[in-house]
Amino acid sequence: MAQAVQKLVAKVPSLLGAAVTYSKPRLATFWYYARVELVPPSPAEIPKAIEGASSLIKSFQSGRLGQITVKDAVRNGLVATEVLMWFYIGECIGKGGIVGYDV
Amino acid sequence: MAPPVAVSPLIKTARYSALIAGIIYGKRRYDNLKPIAAEERRVEEAEKKVRDEQERIAKELREGNLTDLNPPCQLFDLQFDMLIAKCPNPTFSFFYSLFTASEDTILK
Repeated sequence: MAQAVQKLVAKVPSLLGAAVTYSKPRLATFWYYARVELVPPSPAEIPKAIEGASSLIKSFQSGRLGQITVKDAVRNGLVATEVLMWFYIGECIGKGGIVGYDV
Repeated sequence: MAPPVAVSPLIKTARYSALIAGIIYGKRRYDNLKPIAAEERRVEEAEKKVRDEQERIAKELREGNLTDLNPPCQLFDLQFDMLIAKCPNPTFSFFYSLFTASEDTILK
């Protein structure tokens, strides 16, 4: 038992090295995309966002809904779902746990 | 690799405001639920004591070994405690605590 633990402990540095070499290029790809796509909006972009929201509401009111293609509608639906999921991630952060409230 | 997509500002603000709204919602709900759970735990403990006492009495009766001559009174006390735990009323529990304190001094 003790020998097995010693062997495992001796293997840990090489395992860590393998993990690092595996994840470095993937982290680089992630960072390459995240730097552009996942940044929070700068203060200059917020008025543009408000404009975008109001044009969306106007298009709902003017009945342009009947003219979107199904492909566009599905894509917009997926984007809306993704935005909703960020709410649940925020809730997990706020309650300090992933599953359930730790009361 | 495909170049990164320029995300529209509407989507960006929507995402991050949803994140912040979620954090606030999670924190508030947690603070709301924590005292409720503590209360339920208290009630559960009082009920458990009553149940344990009832089991003890039942066991003693079964063994025909009633050395403790006051089991029903103790059970009544514990049940009273359970009722108090279930619906606490400040003035009521205050007078109850006065009563129990005086009972101890009289007996001892």
